[in-house]
Order: sequence, then C-alpha cells, then structure tokens
Amino acid sequence: MPDPAPVNVVSRRGFLKTAAAGASAIALAPGPRDALAQTPKKGGTLRVGFYIEAATMDPHLSGSKIDRQVYHNIYEPLLTLDVKLGIRPGLAESWQQPDPRTVIFKLRRGVKFHDGTDFNAEAVKFNFNRMKTEPKSVRKGEVASIEAVDVVDSHTVKLSLRRPDAALFATLTDRAGMMVSPKVVQERGSELERNAKGAGTGPFEFVEWVRDAHLVIKRNDNYWNKQGGPYLDRVRYRPIPDDTVKLQSLQSGEIDVMDYVQPRDVAAVRADKSVVVLDVPSLAAFAYQLNHTKPPFNTKALRQAVAYALDMEQLVKGVWLNVGVPSNGPIPPTSWAYDKTILPIKRDLAKAKAKLAEGGRAGGFTFTVTTSNIPINVQEVEVMQAQLAEAGITMKIKLVDSATQLSDGNSKNFEMISYQWSGRPDPDGNIYQFFKTTAGTSLNWSGISNPQIDAILDKTREISSQADRKKLYSELTRILQDEFPMIYTVHPIEPKAFSPKVMGYEPVPDGMMRFKDVWLR
Amino acid sequence: MARLILHRLGAVIPVLLLVTVGVFTLLHLTPGDPIDAMMAESVDATVKETLRRDLGLDQPIGVQYARWMGRLLRGDLGRSIRNGEPVLENVGRRIRPSLQLAAFAMAISLLVAFPVGIVAAVRRNTSADRVATTFALFGICMPNFLLALLLIFVFGVTLRWLPISGYTDPLEEPLLGLRSLALPAITLGLALAAVITRTLRSSLLEALAEDYVRTARAKGLSEWMVIRAHVLKNALIPVVTVMGLQLGTLIGGAVITEYVFALPGVGRLVVDAVFARDYPTVQGVVLLIAIGFIVSNLMVDLLYGWIDPRIRHH
Repeated sequence: MPDPAPVNVVSRRGFLKTAAAGASAIALAPGPRDALAQTPKKGGTLRVGFYIEAATMDPHLSGSKIDRQVYHNIYEPLLTLDVKLGIRPGLAESWQQPDPRTVIFKLRRGVKFHDGTDFNAEAVKFNFNRMKTEPKSVRKGEVASIEAVDVVDSHTVKLSLRRPDAALFATLTDRAGMMVSPKVVQERGSELERNAKGAGTGPFEFVEWVRDAHLVIKRNDNYWNKQGGPYLDRVRYRPIPDDTVKLQSLQSGEIDVMDYVQPRDVAAVRADKSVVVLDVPSLAAFAYQLNHTKPPFNTKALRQAVAYALDMEQLVKGVWLNVGVPSNGPIPPTSWAYDKTILPIKRDLAKAKAKLAEGGRAGGFTFTVTTSNIPINVQEVEVMQAQLAEAGITMKIKLVDSATQLSDGNSKNFEMISYQWSGRPDPDGNIYQFFKTTAGTSLNWSGISNPQIDAILDKTREISSQADRKKLYSELTRILQDEFPMIYTVHPIEPKAFSPKVMGYEPVPDGMMRFKDVWLR
Repeated sequence: MARLILHRLGAVIPVLLLVTVGVFTLLHLTPGDPIDAMMAESVDATVKETLRRDLGLDQPIGVQYARWMGRLLRGDLGRSIRNGEPVLENVGRRIRPSLQLAAFAMAISLLVAFPVGIVAAVRRNTSADRVATTFALFGICMPNFLLALLLIFVFGVTLRWLPISGYTDPLEEPLLGLRSLALPAITLGLALAAVITRTLRSSLLEALAEDYVRTARAKGLSEWMVIRAHVLKNALIPVVTVMGLQLGTLIGGAVITEYVFALPGVGRLVVDAVFARDYPTVQGVVLLIAIGFIVSNLMVDLLYGWIDPRIRHH
C-alpha cells in the first residue's frame, strides 16, 4: 500500500504555531489580546456564558472542570502557569528543592484572604492537611506524595515528600495548590461549597451564587498584586446549556464571553464581525480505552488491528472540522514533553488485516464501543464504524449518558469505551493514572498491567531533569503505540469567543479563563 | 363540593405512593452511580466509599426507600447528593419560574385559541377556517425546540426586541421579568393554543349541530348570543380536560423549553438530577410533578361542576 504524504504534519504545525506564539495573528485584529496599544480602564461587568452550572465552590472537594474556571479568579494557587505552561510564582514567591524529597516554599508577604485574615505558612499547612484528611477531599491523590508540611517561619513552609514527585509543581498550579481561608473553613464548614465569601485571596471576591441563574464575583480592591488589573467591577457567570443559544446570546450582546465554541460553529463565528474567536490549544487528549481484561481486546494483535484500520486524519478533518489535530498519544502538542518525531498511527488496511490474522480472527470480529450520547461523539463513532468495516471489523455502538459511561468504565463493563480527558499541565497527569498497574478503581479502565510501562512511569516521577523526563515520555509514547491500552484520536483546540469590547485576555493552554487583566473597551 | 374534594384527596395517597415507588425503583435500576458521576476525576476508592456510606447509598434499595419515606413524613425531602442543598429549598426556588412560565403560556394559548377556534367553527369550511386549521396543524407538528430557535433568531438576534436566555423574576422586576419569559411563553403557548384550538373547534361543531341551538336560533337570538349562551358552555368540557392535562405537564416543567432558554425551572432541575443520578432531587421533583397533576385534575373536576351542574348533582 502506498504511503501517502503525511498531511497531518501541516495541521500539527499549525497547531504548534498557535500554541507557541499564543495568538499573535489574532492580536492584529481587535479583541481580547489587543490590549497593548490601549490603556486599560476600570469598571464594567463582564458577562460570561458557560455550558453547565458549577458544582461546588470548595476547590478541595471539586471534581468538575467548570468549577476551576471560577476558582482561578477568586482563589490563587501556590504556583501559576504562564502562556507557555512554564511554572511561575503564585502565592509562593520562590521555592527551593535541596533534595528530591524536600521542597521549601517562600510565601508572598502582605497577602490577605478576602475575609481579612493573613495568608501565611500556617494557612498553607492547614490547607494541605485538609486536602489530605477531609473525608470528601478529591485532592487526596494529587497531594499523596506530600508526607508532612512544616512551618519553618511565618512565611516559609517545608514539604517533605514520601517519594520524589516531579509533577508536584505543575499539580500545585491548580486546585491542589489553591489556598482557602482557614477561618472560613472552620467557621462555615460545608457551607463553603455554596458560598465562597471571604474564602480566597484572588483578584476577585465571591459575591453570590443563585443556582442555574448566575454566579457573581467582584473586584478585590485590596489585591496584593498592584501590577495591571483587576479592572472589571464584576464578572457574572451564567449557565446556558444550549450551544446554539449561547452563541446567539453572544452575537446579540447578552453575554461578552463564551467558554467554548463547538467545531461545527467555528467557521460561522469567524465570519461574524461582531464576535472575536480565539483558538486556545488545549491540554486535552480524546481517546478510546480498550479492555485488556476480556476478549476480544485481551489479544494485542486485535487492538493493533483496530488502531491500524482507523483513519485519524479523516476523523479530525470530517468530524472535528480541523478544530484539533490527530493525536500520537496522551501528550498534547502544547506540552514540553510532546515529541513531534512520533507520528500519529497511520491507517494501513493491509497491516490491519495481517494483525487480524495474527490474532486468529482473519475473517474479522465484532465488538461494541460505548460512548456518551453527545452529537460529536456519535458522529465520531459512526465514522469509525465505517472505517473499521472496510477492514472486516464490525463495531456496534452503545450510546449512554455520562453517568453510565463512568460506571461502565470504573467497573470495566465495556469492550471499548470513549474517554475524554481535559488534560493537566504536567504530562504525568495525562499518563500515570491511566497506565500504571492499579488494583480496584482507577482511571486505568483498560486494565493494562505492563512491568516495563510501570517502571518508566515510576522513573518519570523520580527524576527532575525535564530533558530526561521528555526522553522517557517519548519511549512511553512508542510503547503505547504498540500496546494500545488506549487509541488516541484527537487533541482538540478549545476556541473561545468574545465580544470585541473585551480586552486583555491571555489564553493559557489549560483553558482556564483568568480575568485579572481583562477590561472592557 | 367539599365531599368531592375530600374524596379526591383520599385518592392522592395511593397515587403518590405508587409514583414514588416506581421512580425509586426505575432510578436504581438505571445503570450509573451518583458517586462516580460526582467524582469523575477522583481515583480514590476509600473517598468514594466513605461518601457512599455517609449518604446511605450502601444500603439495600428497600432500606433507602423506607428512610426516604420516613423523612418525607416529617416534611423533609432530604438533601441533594450532588451539592448537599436541601431538596425542598431547591425545588421551592425552581418551581417559581416554572409556574410563572406555565401561567404566562396558558394565558397566551387561551388568548389565541378561543378567538381562532370560535371563528373556525362558526365559519366552517371557509378560508378563515382553513387558515385556523392550518395554524393548529402547524402548532401541533412544530417541535418545541425548533420553534424556540426560530423565535430566538427572529426576535432575539435579528430584531433584538427580546432577551434570548436567562430569567428575571416578574414579581421583583415586572417588565424585565415578563420580557425574559416572553419567548419561552410564546413557544409553549403557541403549541398549546394549537391543541386547544382543534379541540374547541370540533366540540363547538358538535354543539352547533344540537337541537337546542336550532331552538335558540328559532327564538330569534343573535348568532353571538347563541354561541355565547348556548354553544360555548356546552363545548367547554373537552377543552377544560385538555387544558388540565396540559397544565399538569407545564407545572412538571417544560424541559426542552427551559433548557433552550436557560430558565432555572423544575424541568431543567430534574433532567440535570437524572444525569447526575441525584436520587433525592429526582424523587422530590417527581413528587411535585405528581402533586401538580393531581391538583390540576382536581381543578378540572371542579370546573366541570361549574360548567355543567348536572355533573355536580351526580
């Protein structure tokens, strides 16, 4: 079979360009990033449309992506991410690592929680202890490597680690690094889930949350960082579940920002002069997990047959309308660990058929894919179904709602199941929990248990040199392209749309919308 | 009258019992787990187990139902699994927009359906009748979400007369509130008007063919008097039946309409709760919907008696 030119390289290059240069091309047009030429002004309410309601205001109990959008404006993590995913100071001004098992954070002075209490080393200790011991804490896994937190002085803390953890710094840029006022937790307890008044240190303060109607935050005039914003008086978040209506709300001026534009709408929105679209490359990886614990996918050759029968380029072009790039594995092109020399699996029907024969199913076989009943997911599996049929593989489709999908995955009640992971800044967050041998429930739905993979995974956490880690991740990506616990399809781009009067927005590839320096023209 | 109400209320308890047992069983038979749904990103099995125990979800379904019923008898609908909020409080807040929307939609439907239905029946087989019948057919065939999107496109995006999404309470800010409910109420109201128009037209036609109408006309009454005093009242029974059924559905939440217009009503609440397998919230809302149906049926029965005294005497 002739090997066609690698057309995907073009789109990936485009993607990388967008990722590396931020949105330099877009900066020429008026809109969110074109703030440099003008002086920001204070005031105004930014109205943000979300697809779904937030779940909780307590970052230590949160398991939903949408919550983080709000948190990044009212809470602050110890460390932050820059637009290229580099680690920058946050509430921690600086840090040292005298040995792989010790981290010392020097904390910022003069920072106060919105309730007026001081942010200091005791508060950090309180927060880590809460994440580790609170029964409902969803952060336990993320801070598992921290054995003890000691207060060295009022603004210095020492973390003693159970094992070296190279991913810890990136983990502390999100919810696991977010500091909540100890006073609020002690006095209001579980009410914090619904009311975060006084709880954060961020550029905005929580005002009110009327479920399914709106969530309002206001400018923190006593914010410690006097450079730049916050400029906005208020930010008003509103859940608008229907994508079409959300877009129309933006076009008619009822909202100023929408969190995500569906691929099917991107072309139309770009053509609309009343709206500015920003392509925000994401950390996400969309894939299918193959169940290693039962037939047919306990046979490696059959997993490979499916992978080679699929055409990722066609999927990305036809289903995702190029609002994303074909994936070579769990690491997105936005990551420092991405290895562009490893290409996505190329369709090869002859090879797929050979693998079928090797797996003892020369005449093909039948299996079922489980996916959630969302239009783009359905389209994707339908295209895959047609592609697999050309190799003699019959794929049946089982559509479920997301709660069923989660319980089917956790209980390994599937043959192949879709998995959409929003991604984490450090590659560890996209890899370790999916492929490490684990007993019981984990994100390793495929049930893969491979000593070679386990050894590499442990090593990636132990060494701190980024270059060395990158080599290990490349090695791992190659192994995954042979073993196929998961078949990766696309790294989506997450376009966000703005009213042209919104200025100063910096897209960070984690997709979170930080409004500190945003202002309204 | 009092006996009728008492008799009806007596029938309420078995109905509610049946409904709650049915929903409880169905929900628990549906695959999917509230804890998994809530903690999609957590891999910590002990955290999940603790939470499951705290929420009593580790108990057999019969025990869970008995506990729920016990709390219900004390006037407590429990707390949402998803966010810990008391269900009664949540449902209480969400029923408001749904009731307002139902009332507004019902008003629009009556304002449209009565004139159109009467004209269609009185001017049977004329072009006015054909326009009215086509309107009714269109209203019945048109899916709600499509009509909603069309209205949004015309009145929200193109003309910018009305807000597209969101909710303001008309009791707090009357003008803004009515504006925020206008498009969803028109969406629901037109569909409802279509159903009522058809029912009204056919029952008017039936009544118009009765002997007493001929007698009334022979007495020299004007056509309008004939319609108003003799025909309309006799034609109302089927219309009231249809309205009662529709009102029950509206109170239960116009799910799609609430979704499209981002209205915080009970319809959206129950759908979100089903997706999250938030059992107490689903139970609470279903109970409320059942009560809504029972009350609107009771109102219909009382209306029958008022319209037709013979029903009262029986």
